[in-house]
Amino acid sequence: MEQVSDEEVEVRGEEEEEEEDSDKEDQDLDKMFGAWLGELDKLTQSLDDGRPEQPPQQKAPLRQETNMANFSYRFSIYNINEALNQGENVDLDALMADLCSIEQELSTINTKPNSAGSLARLGPTLYLLTHQASLSMDEAARQTSSHSLSSRQHRRTGSVGTPFHFEEQAAKLKADNIRVALEKIKEAQVKKLVIRVHLSDESSKTMMVDERQTVRQVLDSLLEKSHCGYSPDWSLVETISELQMERIFEDHENLVENLLNWTRDSQNRLMFTERIEKYAVFKNPQNYLLGRKETCEMAERNKEALLEECFGGSSVSVPEMEGVLWLKEDGKKSWKKRYFLLRASGIYYVPKGKAKASRDLVCFLQLDHVNVYLGQDYKSKYKAPTDYCMVLKHPQIQKKSQYIKYLCCDDIRTLQQWINSIRITKYGKQLYINFQEAMRRTEAAYDWSSLSSSSIKSGSSSSSLPESQSNHSSQSDSGVSEMTSSSHTRSQSVVSSIFSDAWRRGTQGEV
Amino acid sequence: MAAWDLSVTVEDLGPDAPPVTLSVASDLHVGGVILKLVEKTQIKRDWSDHALWWEQKQCWLLRTAWTLEKYGIHADAKLFFMPQHKPLRLCLPNGITLRLRACFSNPVFQTVMGICRMLNIRHPEELSLLRPVEHKKKKKDKDSAEEIYDLTEVPLSSVSRPCLYNGMPAHFADSPQMEAIYKMLSVTQPPPAPEVVAKQYRPASVVDKAHIHGRWLNSSRCLLQQGIQENDRVWLRFKFYAFYDIEPKYDVVRLTQLYEQARWAILLEDIDCTEEEMMLFGALQYHISKVSQSEPQMMSSNAAMDDLESALQSLEVKMEGESSSASEMLDNMTAPELNDYLKIFRPKRLTLKGYKQYWFKFQDTSISYFKSKEESIGEPIQQINLKGCEVAPDVNVAAQKFLIRLLIPAPEGMNEVYLRCENEQQYAQWMAACRLGSKGKTLADSSFQNEIQSIRSFLAMQKTNSGSHGNAPANDESINTNSLVSPRYNKKYKTKQLTPRILDAYQNVAQLSLTDAVMRFLQIWQSLPDFGLSYVVVRFKGSRKDEVLGVAPNRLIRIDLGVGDVVKTWRYNNMKQWNVNWDIRQLAIEFEGNVNIAFSCVTADCKIVHEFIGGYIFMSTRSREKSSTLNEELFHKLTGGHEAL
Repeated sequence: MEQVSDEEVEVRGEEEEEEEDSDKEDQDLDKMFGAWLGELDKLTQSLDDGRPEQPPQQKAPLRQETNMANFSYRFSIYNINEALNQGENVDLDALMADLCSIEQELSTINTKPNSAGSLARLGPTLYLLTHQASLSMDEAARQTSSHSLSSRQHRRTGSVGTPFHFEEQAAKLKADNIRVALEKIKEAQVKKLVIRVHLSDESSKTMMVDERQTVRQVLDSLLEKSHCGYSPDWSLVETISELQMERIFEDHENLVENLLNWTRDSQNRLMFTERIEKYAVFKNPQNYLLGRKETCEMAERNKEALLEECFGGSSVSVPEMEGVLWLKEDGKKSWKKRYFLLRASGIYYVPKGKAKASRDLVCFLQLDHVNVYLGQDYKSKYKAPTDYCMVLKHPQIQKKSQYIKYLCCDDIRTLQQWINSIRITKYGKQLYINFQEAMRRTEAAYDWSSLSSSSIKSGSSSSSLPESQSNHSSQSDSGVSEMTSSSHTRSQSVVSSIFSDAWRRGTQGEV
Repeated sequence: MAAWDLSVTVEDLGPDAPPVTLSVASDLHVGGVILKLVEKTQIKRDWSDHALWWEQKQCWLLRTAWTLEKYGIHADAKLFFMPQHKPLRLCLPNGITLRLRACFSNPVFQTVMGICRMLNIRHPEELSLLRPVEHKKKKKDKDSAEEIYDLTEVPLSSVSRPCLYNGMPAHFADSPQMEAIYKMLSVTQPPPAPEVVAKQYRPASVVDKAHIHGRWLNSSRCLLQQGIQENDRVWLRFKFYAFYDIEPKYDVVRLTQLYEQARWAILLEDIDCTEEEMMLFGALQYHISKVSQSEPQMMSSNAAMDDLESALQSLEVKMEGESSSASEMLDNMTAPELNDYLKIFRPKRLTLKGYKQYWFKFQDTSISYFKSKEESIGEPIQQINLKGCEVAPDVNVAAQKFLIRLLIPAPEGMNEVYLRCENEQQYAQWMAACRLGSKGKTLADSSFQNEIQSIRSFLAMQKTNSGSHGNAPANDESINTNSLVSPRYNKKYKTKQLTPRILDAYQNVAQLSLTDAVMRFLQIWQSLPDFGLSYVVVRFKGSRKDEVLGVAPNRLIRIDLGVGDVVKTWRYNNMKQWNVNWDIRQLAIEFEGNVNIAFSCVTADCKIVHEFIGGYIFMSTRSREKSSTLNEELFHKLTGGHEAL
């Protein structure tokens, strides 16, 4: 990646500020930011001057990094500005609270520059990080020496029998101290981002996310704020309007990391919306995991057994997924039919004139570096045979490129099967864990609501869900039940009633 | 009651000794017969393992309280008095033959349990014995020269109560020879020479594979009943591909043998895979054999420390030092860099310019370059962050070509950049740095030196391969890449084409610990579409042609022999019941939704298929709780059929 030079950043930042609305509140806020930024510059300056033993050759990087610090803040401000321009529904209070806390931390750095503080959060850089690290390690060393001193005293006065014990303890204390120091270092470089989340009713919310937060955590806080009713289907969806594609972020993904792939002038949007397809795999696994062409019903206990079979073992079995798809040719608006197969090692196709024996397959794509997106309206955009298209690309690619691969399916069912199978291949067990976690949240929410209203019956049995899932379900209880012991007389009915709710919800919107 | 003469051949008297004749009455119990017999032989020894074998009826007289009458034994009975445990030549998954004492009187299921206890393999229910494939007439009987590891001296009593000593069962700690055997069991074998692989029997079709599966021994009957004699050769293999609760700490031998079985399945194309997968298997084999040679006891020790812990250790070391002032610490903490002249080329930009030389600096996870060394203090011409990029080698040692291909993601697409190094030394360093950078790691990362080392050793391999050919001895520096892939790819590619491809795959696995690499190998094996399928040629009821039934851990599949395609899949989950009609040797299975199938077996006895289905159902009943002891009775119930205990 070509690093954007510092000047460029400044210029762009300025542009954004000029573009800004004349709304009064906005200006106040902006003034505050301005003052605050100035203070920040001073701060870094003072730190710069105040450093006694600074090796001369490190001067250049430091300057650069300070600019970088500004960069990341400008970026946030830009986002806020954009949010303010849009007007409605900005949670200014919460935002201010966040900013104030940052300011506070900044001032503590000013007075106590020796602490392993959070200056580095402004722009996590090697230089700042190492500086902080050395300081905190010095601290740790001091602490350690005092600890070891006290332990030595102990040894002198203590009983003769246990010197080893003390030594061990001292070592442990030392390790603990270092651990704490390291954690502080880690804490010090946390990045925060102000984001705008679009809701399905065209409104939007602005919030601050920290780079450690997973999509699940962000979803939780959004759910808490928006009182929209819990469901595992709530999703954060990234839409890349320039490429007309979208992707549901997986719950375990890091949100900030994904958002940083966006370009600065990006028209991309982050949507907070309910998506039935997010966990459809787990609600009706028989439609995805068995490699069948037609949808069908399945007894709930069998669904559970099937999920356990696919996700419970040490290795996840990749769904048998194969069939004819249309592939868009590079740089052209023509589509070619090919027979594709999904394997754990990637997507393959059958070369012309060959049978589909494994050894003859040609590797189309390995899945490590790409994500799968849903293409929108490609019939008109790219002359696709149908509108059921998926896209495979590296998450950092944001513009048209030969490295983006477009595939088109005959019907939406096939499309959903492919997308979900690719997700399973890529994320494996993690996807199931995400689902279980989402279900747990949902159940917990029901628990709360059932205190006031008894309308949701399954809520009361929520606590049994995780247990029953970890409980191994025997396959023989379907066929050779006379052989199996009584251990299978678990609360199956309870579990399935919880599930049936989810499934019903799942099948309603499912294709 | 009238007395009559019973003649018993006592094996210990020698093959030519005449049978011992006893005068017995029909109400004498078997224990009494043995007592009389022992008295008569006048040999003083431990007879506790001995029992009577009734030749005509092909059965052991193990119930010593039963009378001769109850057994139905008359004067014409031919009885043999012999030990129940006899030497057996056991061919392991790793291709090595052991000689050990196995039980010839209990059902094979228990015999395998005993063997596994001796070899320290947990979950013996997943393994079984099968008759070996007969070798076609070999020129010279090479087998006699083959080394056989002897375990017959292990006292049976010590095996029944295994206690660990130095991480291995106590009976292996007795002598250096025994320890060597344990090492053979628990350390992976070096890659076999390509000629050895080529010489091995390779099943060419599904039908060939089906014939191999017809060789499984019956788990419900004893070895002697199945015609296995003393010192006969049998194979020990994993039979049920449902590996339960693998724990590298306790499963050293189990994992090693499982890996060996998987490796041979790949090399002999017993299971089909794609070219990319084959290269990855090759890279993993290379890595595993390299690591296991350098650190043979790694399997027992724990996997790699996590980053924090190693960081803590290195910190601690630094703090122990006398001078721990902040300034010196700062010096220590400054991240290392690489600085050198390299040549760069961007194939995507439509310029005719070739490689251009610049002064390169690798710092953090980025590469920057400058016009010259002198100008390196100023702004770089460009800075490239390598985090998340793809790194591929393009190396030809003979031609002195050392290229690093970088594919760097950017909003506009992927940027291709080639870096050209002058020599091996430079290449190894920069390549290692690029790989770390792509993973978001800096040069300060502890794996940097390892990475350099592994790149160098691979370069060395390419050098020796291009120089000599044939079966190179499998020492560290010169593993023949041809021995890492199946013969098909040896025919398809020359060594110099093969090596870079394996090298390519290797870069993704080079940092794995031995245990992790073995586990990865097994994982990839398990995720192959055909994994775990055991084939039988069958004739479905009402059908006139032979078809193939594939038995997998979770399902049965029906394969059309003509097309080779899967016609139908039935899952055990939907199975309501299955029956065997032992008279017409036919299996009938009923699935939910009134689906009934029935078939007779062509290449295997129907007991084998019955055992496979029942066995997999048994495997799935093993509970998640660790406490579970093996429910032998249930296994026999599910697999025994009319021979059930």
